[in-house]
Amino acid sequence: MLATDPHLFRLPGDGEDRPHLLGSYSAEAGLHFWPRRRRCPVTRTPVEDVELGPVGTLYAWTFLHVPRMGKVSFGDTGGYAVGQVDLPEGVRVQAPLVGSQHDWSIGDEMALTLFPVGTDDDGQELVTFRFEVVR
Amino acid sequence: MTSKMGRRVLVVGVGMHPFGNDGVAATDMGYVAGVAALDDAGIDFPEVGALYNGYIGGGITAGVHLAKDLGLTGLPVTHVENASATGSSAFGEAVHAVAGGRVDVAMALGFDDMNRMGGLGRSGKRGLGAEDVMLPAAFFAMWATRRMHEVGTTVETFAAIAAKNWNHARENPMAQRRADHEMTVEEILASTMISYPHTSKMACAAGGGGAAAVVASEDVARRLGGPMIEVVASQQRSETYTDGHVFLGAVIGPAQMTRDTAADAYEQAGLGPRDLDLVQVHDAFPIEELVYYELLGICGDGEGDKLVASGETSLGGRIPFSTDGGLTARGHPGGPTGLAQIHETVLQLRGGAGPRQVEGARTGLCHMAGAGSVCVVHILQRN
Repeated sequence: MLATDPHLFRLPGDGEDRPHLLGSYSAEAGLHFWPRRRRCPVTRTPVEDVELGPVGTLYAWTFLHVPRMGKVSFGDTGGYAVGQVDLPEGVRVQAPLVGSQHDWSIGDEMALTLFPVGTDDDGQELVTFRFEVVR
Repeated sequence: MTSKMGRRVLVVGVGMHPFGNDGVAATDMGYVAGVAALDDAGIDFPEVGALYNGYIGGGITAGVHLAKDLGLTGLPVTHVENASATGSSAFGEAVHAVAGGRVDVAMALGFDDMNRMGGLGRSGKRGLGAEDVMLPAAFFAMWATRRMHEVGTTVETFAAIAAKNWNHARENPMAQRRADHEMTVEEILASTMISYPHTSKMACAAGGGGAAAVVASEDVARRLGGPMIEVVASQQRSETYTDGHVFLGAVIGPAQMTRDTAADAYEQAGLGPRDLDLVQVHDAFPIEELVYYELLGICGDGEGDKLVASGETSLGGRIPFSTDGGLTARGHPGGPTGLAQIHETVLQLRGGAGPRQVEGARTGLCHMAGAGSVCVVHILQRN
């Protein structure tokens, strides 16, 4: 299993059940960022690599009535949801959501999970991340 | 961050090729718009001291090639690209070229065909990342659902804004979408759902077009003898950090960016939102126009819905928005859209907008956002 973009997130390690987003922390500004920054965008000082999440709160969502998401098909009348999730570190992440149109509301607790999107040229499964409601 | 204008700058000519999907090559539409602006100004191309081409979808040298059709005069030709704000930025460059004394006459020329544009985003990456599945429609829709949650905005309000703009376009021969009947809120709501809560008739149209403007110093404008339409503010900003800042994939940008750019423009012009007679905004989806009422200071935060209900932003109302149909109905090819706003505002300030004329219009504001990271605001005034 391979991450579509290993600069944005990492797969769950041993004993972990969820992936983690890869971000930056600016000690000078006291702010977290995602994706990783070259330097703090506020103070222009050095940042350190940190891991974020994987659980946050749904800030906004929509359901796209588009039958395909890249190479993934949802059938002729399908679609998919995307949302913005606020992580406890103060980072807002935009990502696809698991579920159908009536599965979530603003304020729901959301957790990061994996989502298979195809295979690479060597036949290895490619996965990206999305959020699901924590029940 | 307010920039100074230097010399006075006046718009002496505007021109357009109708926006639409008629299969005309983008450069042909640009040529038609450019010649129309020169004719409108009453000058020949050799008098233009600098040309700023705004296009997104053309080839690398499309702007320079278009200049060859206008005339080999040796003038400096510059390519400007700022996503949806491309035409607005090209206009800003032309304005500042005259204001700063680089030239006495400058031209901004925008052209594009959104149907022939290459892929956006991170093409060439190995797989399907979150970024690749975030259609622009999704960002605006999320803005809308958050607004509904916080303020109680209804889908009917979004539909009312879209219907208004469709009906404004019915009186605009340059508009892409010209309905043969009065559009209703019900008809907008009944169209295909794209991204909840936005339907297809709430979404800006994809198509092509051309638009151009010629700006000049006060001496040249007086010699030409036309109406004195002055650019009293030309401001552009990018993002500053705000809570909940989205770095990956944002196409709407932080609200503060529009607030700050507008504040700069009002300060430069020495006027406020109450002095405006009409406004053009980046209304790719109705949530935008609704929020820009507030970010531009036309009403207080959370009060935009009441403005729609009272009809104040419709033609005939206190402060009409998107008088030419806006991105929703006039259309939105990236290169010329900002210049189409200038075209519309100049017609209005001259009193030449025909059936959609805002009576007694003296001051107009044009606002465009680009890729969520660029905001451009111009204020034009008849003297």
